[in-house]
Amino acid sequence: MIRTMSLWATMAVLALGTLSFDVQPQTDPGDKLLGVWEPSNGRARVKIDRIGNKYYGRIVWLIEPNDPETGEAKTDKNNPDPALQNVPLKGYRMLKDFVYQEEDGTWTEGTIYDPLNGSTYSCVIKMTDENTLDIRGYIGVQALGRTDVWKRLVIPGRR
Amino acid sequence: MRRNALKGVVAVGAAFVLLAGPVMGQVDTTSTYEEEEIDFSLYDNLSFADESAKRYCSPKIEGLSPAKLISVGYDFQGGYDLNAGDILGADGSSIIAGGGDAQVNATHGLRAGFNVPVVSKTSLVWQMGANFWNTRYAYDETPTENANPLHRTLSEHGLRTAGVNTTVFKPLDSQQFILFQGSADLSGTYGGSFMPLQYLKYSAALLYGKRPTERKQWAVGLARTYRVGEINYIPVVLYNATDAVNKWGTEILFPARAHVRRTINPRNMVFFGYELEGQSYRLWQNLDGDAADLSAEDLEVRRGEARVRFVYECSLKSFVWLSVQAGYRVNYRFDVDRLVDGEEIYRAFGLLRDDPYAQVNGMGNPFYLNVSVNLVSP
Repeated sequence: MIRTMSLWATMAVLALGTLSFDVQPQTDPGDKLLGVWEPSNGRARVKIDRIGNKYYGRIVWLIEPNDPETGEAKTDKNNPDPALQNVPLKGYRMLKDFVYQEEDGTWTEGTIYDPLNGSTYSCVIKMTDENTLDIRGYIGVQALGRTDVWKRLVIPGRR
Repeated sequence: MRRNALKGVVAVGAAFVLLAGPVMGQVDTTSTYEEEEIDFSLYDNLSFADESAKRYCSPKIEGLSPAKLISVGYDFQGGYDLNAGDILGADGSSIIAGGGDAQVNATHGLRAGFNVPVVSKTSLVWQMGANFWNTRYAYDETPTENANPLHRTLSEHGLRTAGVNTTVFKPLDSQQFILFQGSADLSGTYGGSFMPLQYLKYSAALLYGKRPTERKQWAVGLARTYRVGEINYIPVVLYNATDAVNKWGTEILFPARAHVRRTINPRNMVFFGYELEGQSYRLWQNLDGDAADLSAEDLEVRRGEARVRFVYECSLKSFVWLSVQAGYRVNYRFDVDRLVDGEEIYRAFGLLRDDPYAQVNGMGNPFYLNVSVNLVSP
């Protein structure tokens, strides 16, 4: 009995260990971006990880996970590339290639993908406080863009 | 003039394509890395790290056609009869110029505008923009010195509008919002030098609305508008909706415009509906020769028309969109008012005042075509 409980406890610890939005050793000043974030429309949650020296964000939760037309899990059906239209949206990398700039504290050189219209925009990320991001998608120059405010998410009761 | 304008449209369109090019394309830059397996259920029950954080509704809904940041286009109306009435003097009875009919073969001109976000935050969106519309009248026979001054000034000078506008979207919470739109336009027969700013026409609309779902938003409010040519204060209703599978929708700001949308895919859309267009144009420039001193007569053309149309919009390349409108331009009013020093006459559709117009005109309803190239917003 005790052995069974220990096994469950070990598995729970391992599972929590994968929640990199909660507690994660930060070895780079840019790692404060790591975690799970919610865009302003509340329709999705995005987990940001670092791969090498770049930051990437994957969709990990959707308020409406299934396509109302098919009843199946939503795919990237608006992607202009037909070969990618069957890729599941959950797990999709919508933020790519961000590099932290120590001089001004922003993450730049990356792109953001909007699954609603299948468009990819240049993007710059600015952290306005430890729990808030200004995500600015733009076309060519930053003046031609739109800023969305993302909020950090945590397990309830853990700050 | 027309050829030069078309060259301008092509040149700006090419610039859009070049501008959009470098940021297009979803290239998988992580393919060399093995994807981490994710247990998505771990992310079902999370809350804001900042307990005071609030959710606000977005100004857009799913499926809505993209907003245009920059637009350059050309508007063309086919031929029609323009029946100019007598121009009455300030006493309301004397005739200072006799009426006359003429055939207009085409009405055409460049239309350009831009809109850029000044503040774009979850809690506030503020955009500023500017626009310029030029309208030339190509008569079948160039009006002579004896022709009605309206024909002469339209033929010689045309009509143009230049203005600035602003839009403020203020979400109150996750569902409620306030929307304000305002504009100041200088409209008339002016040329290279503008008219005095006392002739600016101000329009505005203030709406309160709700966005109950990601696919629906509505709002009601009040507008001060020149859409039917002369000043009016009218109630307005906004209703944007998209069905569950994003095939059909509506984009309505009644009574200014109302369209049914059929989405082929997010980069191809067809609309059917109408838009009211109008403005009050100061007859500012005088005519060559000894004709009436139009500038001193304080006359303004009250142009109001409905455009019943099909619209096709598609992405040419990433964020560069083509928009083609085709339909009928239905005349509502093309009469001339006498506005001393620009002071308005508010008739309220005849309910408050019934001042006679200085000139009552009629015109046919031709086919029209509008083609524009647009840089659309993220």
